[in-house]
Amino acid sequence: MTNSMSNTEFVTNLVENQYKVLKTEVLDQYQIAFEVKKEDVHSILSLLKTSGWIQLSYLSAVDWIKDNEFEVVYIVFNWDKAVHIQIRTRLDRESASINSVLPIYPGCKYYEREAHEFFGIKFPGNPDYEKQLILENWDDIPPLRKDFDPRQYSDKKFSHMEYKNDFVNKDGKVSKQEAREKRFSDADKLRTGGKK
Amino acid sequence: MLSTKFSPMSKEEVDRKWWEIGDFFRRNSLWMLMYCTGCCAIELPPAMTSAYDMERLGMGPMATPRQADVLLVTGYLSLKTLRRLIYTYEQMSEPKYVVGFGSCTINGGIYHDSHAVINQLNKYVPVDVFVAGCMPNTESVMNGFIDLMDLIKNKKANGWKDYHERNDWYKANQKAALGEVKIHDEFHE
Amino acid sequence: MKEMKLFLGPQHPGMSGNASVHMYVDGDIIKRSYLLPGMLHRGFEKGMERHLWVNNISLIPRVCVVEPDTNEMAFAMAVEMIAKLEVPERAHYIRMIILEFARLSIHLMSYGGLGGPTGLYTLMYHAHTDRNTILNIFEKITGHRVYHQYIVPGGVRKDLPVGIEKDMHSFLDDLESRYEEYRDLGINNLSIQARIRDTIMLPKEVVWELGVTGIGMRSAVNKPYDLRKVKPYARYDQIEFDVPVSDYSDAYARVDCKLQEVLQSISIIRQCLIKMPKGDVRVPISKGQAMRWTVPKGYAYACVESSRGEFGYFMVSDGGTHPYRVGVRGASYPQGLLGVEKYLPGTRLDDASLWIDTMGVCSPEIDR
Repeated sequence: MTNSMSNTEFVTNLVENQYKVLKTEVLDQYQIAFEVKKEDVHSILSLLKTSGWIQLSYLSAVDWIKDNEFEVVYIVFNWDKAVHIQIRTRLDRESASINSVLPIYPGCKYYEREAHEFFGIKFPGNPDYEKQLILENWDDIPPLRKDFDPRQYSDKKFSHMEYKNDFVNKDGKVSKQEAREKRFSDADKLRTGGKK
Repeated sequence: MLSTKFSPMSKEEVDRKWWEIGDFFRRNSLWMLMYCTGCCAIELPPAMTSAYDMERLGMGPMATPRQADVLLVTGYLSLKTLRRLIYTYEQMSEPKYVVGFGSCTINGGIYHDSHAVINQLNKYVPVDVFVAGCMPNTESVMNGFIDLMDLIKNKKANGWKDYHERNDWYKANQKAALGEVKIHDEFHE
Repeated sequence: MKEMKLFLGPQHPGMSGNASVHMYVDGDIIKRSYLLPGMLHRGFEKGMERHLWVNNISLIPRVCVVEPDTNEMAFAMAVEMIAKLEVPERAHYIRMIILEFARLSIHLMSYGGLGGPTGLYTLMYHAHTDRNTILNIFEKITGHRVYHQYIVPGGVRKDLPVGIEKDMHSFLDDLESRYEEYRDLGINNLSIQARIRDTIMLPKEVVWELGVTGIGMRSAVNKPYDLRKVKPYARYDQIEFDVPVSDYSDAYARVDCKLQEVLQSISIIRQCLIKMPKGDVRVPISKGQAMRWTVPKGYAYACVESSRGEFGYFMVSDGGTHPYRVGVRGASYPQGLLGVEKYLPGTRLDDASLWIDTMGVCSPEIDR
């Protein structure tokens, strides 16, 4: 480990010297984020892996529905240099597809399956990314997309509790609580002789 | 030789007497199925072990559904679990009782608008006792069991009979939520 | 012999949590196996987008049932990272106390859980009784036994109640005095050792392939790769503690590490109680309404060391009153899904539940 240079500077130099980075964000001394082009993702990740970022901590996506784009996020970690690196890239929402990083990080297998299940992003190269993992017999659009409304789905499929009329304040009638409050305030009035 | 005090009982009366005797023993030795369907199951270990000691009520855990009397639905039920829960419930031998834990089994609780969690358990499986709370603490769990024993004593824990009588209604509800109750995965082919 | 299909779970006494391991066995050797997750799926990540930031505080502890406090901590850290918020000094120490108590509670629980698959129920009874005492302490501090909602963005909800130190000390002393007894009952017990020595190996070479973190990794690679040491959060950099490691990861080594961590946690809590300064415990996130506070735009990934490994929250805020996206990195994701698929084959059938128990597979955080 070099002492003259902090870990985040080391990463910035490493990545920015070789690749065109759209945006660099240093979150704190333990975390840095790069926004890169879709084509560069795999080579950056393999560069990072050979430089010691051997653990894939997280892989998921964000749905930016206003830009009509998905953002795929890879978070890798190096236990000796202690920096989490976010690699983010944007995909077109209509035909979202990015090659699997399975050859680089074998641990991504289930993360990619889950991202496909919840966002509908395709990961060619991952042998069974299309199999359902968490959900069963799903019959709607992928649930983590922003245009999916779980409330609507829930109302359609599952019946809700119907409360008996006793629990609802029937129109016109004074509820028990209101009556009690009125009684208390009346009692107060009597006690103070009508003054507040 | 017939005693003068003895008056012959009708068959229904004899049946009723036997059920009363059976219920007495049943409610004093309830075997609960160890199926942790959700997060309320985390309060069961304290109830089972020395702190609250469930065994003094005559309750104990049982590993297989066929030998268990009580099914504990501990919390929310996702669709995937509901399928397996119905399998499990139908495997249990009668009479069988269901205790629903937590707000989620009553009205969906904190997950009332989730796309994966059902809102009302007693539409799919008959429930005898609900224990409210998120999560219900161990005292209320124990209280729920005592309530169940009282219900058995007063012959009110009739959920399993209801499941026979209104089977079509339950099945229709299950079908509406699940599409199909049968499990289809690689393993069940 | 013909291959046979077998389930382990979801309804099985050896299975912790509502998940299922599907196995193809030949005799009693597992040939192929995979985890069937999803039975605890509640749509958390969607639910969090639909709730206010403040409402999410009550939602997140439910992600991982057995260890809710790490969720709260990771969530709070992520919010503080985006909002560039400095937490009061005292809050840091209170957080550490809560987190270490949570670690004690889950280590006791999983150590007792070892009694399930190995059939030593005495262990389970001892451990759960001690865990119940921790829950009682939590109830005194936070008002809740299991879901505390105590660590909130900006600090902790309230200061510690007066006189709680006495309860803590008496519990810690009690646990420490019976530590050797625990060891003798569990892992020094010859009948247990026959089950956990040299079984369910996690070879060093494959740790990185899996992406396993936490005790599973440390027991294999022999390096103190603990997030509390590597990238200290809260005030772990001002506390002295060791990270137990080993270079031969069988079930025994993992349980051994777990037990040594119990001692370390006890020492951390004692140091915190001494070093804890006086002062505020909470700062507001932003000005404006008390409930509809907002968090500035940004991305953050915050992670803490849970009992099973790196537990992280990936968070995107668009500056609104709701989070834009929250992703949960369950700590047991690698060992639960990939581990079961790749490293269970070849072991004996009855060791499958030992893997689930000693590696710490927590199904609710896999499913969310």
